[in-house]
Amino acid sequence: MSNIMKINIGPQHPSTHGVLRLITELDGEEIISIEPVVGYLHRGLEKLAENRSYLQYLPMVDRIDYLGGFFTSYAYCNCVEHLLNCVVPKRAEYIRVLCMELNRIASHLLWLGTFMLDLGASSPLFYCFRDREIILSLFEELTGQRMMYNYFVFGGVRFDVTNEWLNKVSDFIVKFPQCISDYEKIITKNPIFTDRTVNKGILSKNVALQYSVTGPNLRASGMDLDFRKSNPYSVYDKLDFVPAVNHLCDSYGRYLVRIAEMKSSVDIVKQVVRYLKENNGDISANIKAINLKVQEGEYTSYVESSRGLLCCYLRADGSGKPYRVKWRTGSYYAVQVLPQIAKNVNYNDLIAIFGSLDVIMPEVDK
Amino acid sequence: MIKIFRKILSLIQGHITVFKHSFKKRVTLEYPEVKPVIPERFRGKPDWYGNKCIGCKLCEKVCPAFAVTVDKLNDNINFKIDLSKCILCGNCMYNCPKSAIKLTSDFELATDLKENLIVNKNSKDELYE
Ligand code: SF4
Ligand code: SF4
Repeated sequence: MSNIMKINIGPQHPSTHGVLRLITELDGEEIISIEPVVGYLHRGLEKLAENRSYLQYLPMVDRIDYLGGFFTSYAYCNCVEHLLNCVVPKRAEYIRVLCMELNRIASHLLWLGTFMLDLGASSPLFYCFRDREIILSLFEELTGQRMMYNYFVFGGVRFDVTNEWLNKVSDFIVKFPQCISDYEKIITKNPIFTDRTVNKGILSKNVALQYSVTGPNLRASGMDLDFRKSNPYSVYDKLDFVPAVNHLCDSYGRYLVRIAEMKSSVDIVKQVVRYLKENNGDISANIKAINLKVQEGEYTSYVESSRGLLCCYLRADGSGKPYRVKWRTGSYYAVQVLPQIAKNVNYNDLIAIFGSLDVIMPEVDK
Repeated sequence: MIKIFRKILSLIQGHITVFKHSFKKRVTLEYPEVKPVIPERFRGKPDWYGNKCIGCKLCEKVCPAFAVTVDKLNDNINFKIDLSKCILCGNCMYNCPKSAIKLTSDFELATDLKENLIVNKNSKDELYE
């Protein structure tokens, strides 16, 4: 008699971070195979672009990744700007980088909190949300919303930052390293945490490359690929920072990479705030966005988002609407690699491994 | 032996950190009684000012959710917005040439009747108000 049992995890499961269904085959407590079923959160965000004008589609791209609205906004705006041959003012680019880096910190904080909750620790969740709240309030003050910003416009940003706001950012950035060290004190060496993450969910460099896994997941597998460094976009080539890499390949390595990435984001934010305080300038190239017509052509923009490489492919046909928009998001590939790395592990560890990949379902299904 | 000692030490360190945090200032609000401070730019429920609107229909054009409808009959402008469709993106406010739409700081939009989510306004009523 075969002992293999099929278990259906999700789609409504608190630990799948959205609506993901995992069809798992178990032999006792050991996982034989996993089949992820995605698409429960499909909103047709690529198709929607085709019957909307460029400006109408702009607020929608924030919803592709609700934890990293600035990254998707930037990718889309960058495509349109490139096709319009428009030069974005320096100050606007710096403001964009500032927003994106704060967004990265906020996104990683949410990941850290929920990942720890998956492992059964609830204190870090509250601390992470408390600190993330500060960033969200800063965003709310600057853009008007906490998550769906609609702040980047074609050719720049919508509002200028004030010195007062920058001071608030500086205050936060000064205090934040202490917060990170608090998380590390609670988590990094905690035996309950290390027992469940060290040598669990091994994602080797080869497998990661075969499955096009990018972002912190790839960097935790020992591959130094950060698009902010390798193909600098925006003003990243003028900023001094060290991308986080390590060779542990396991869930613990992915945790360390994200913690280190928050620290490097802090460095970037410091430099950007200094620049913005010292230099004034335009914040937008003043493109008339209503009735905007984009000449024929295609372009793909690359952005290193908090969950890996984010690409936006835009094809314009000279009319007022995009002909085709295609998104490539990091989480999609992280879900696909799960069957590989969670093979032959104990059922208990599945959620811990899945949590360590930082998957956001709306980004997978789009 | 040393390993076990280290493990215990790290657990103690974690507990001390958590203990210290319990003396920090409270960050939550007792919501319905205490309202949060809403920043100036906050985008909440859209409001329309009939005396400013010229009926150019630009807001209709830029709305991603097709939530706004503007009908102009002679001097009488009828403005309808379906809040169940509106995604509070602010496109209408940012692109209105006369600043006739403002997204207010009203964020408490929950209601038990769908009709309450449809705001129908007429420029005539605005004048008498
Ligand atoms: S864009 Fe402004 S002025 Fe034009 S119809 Fe809409 S509310 Fe009226
Ligand atoms: S806020 Fe956005 S979705 Fe709502 S009515 Fe204005 S343009 Fe439409």
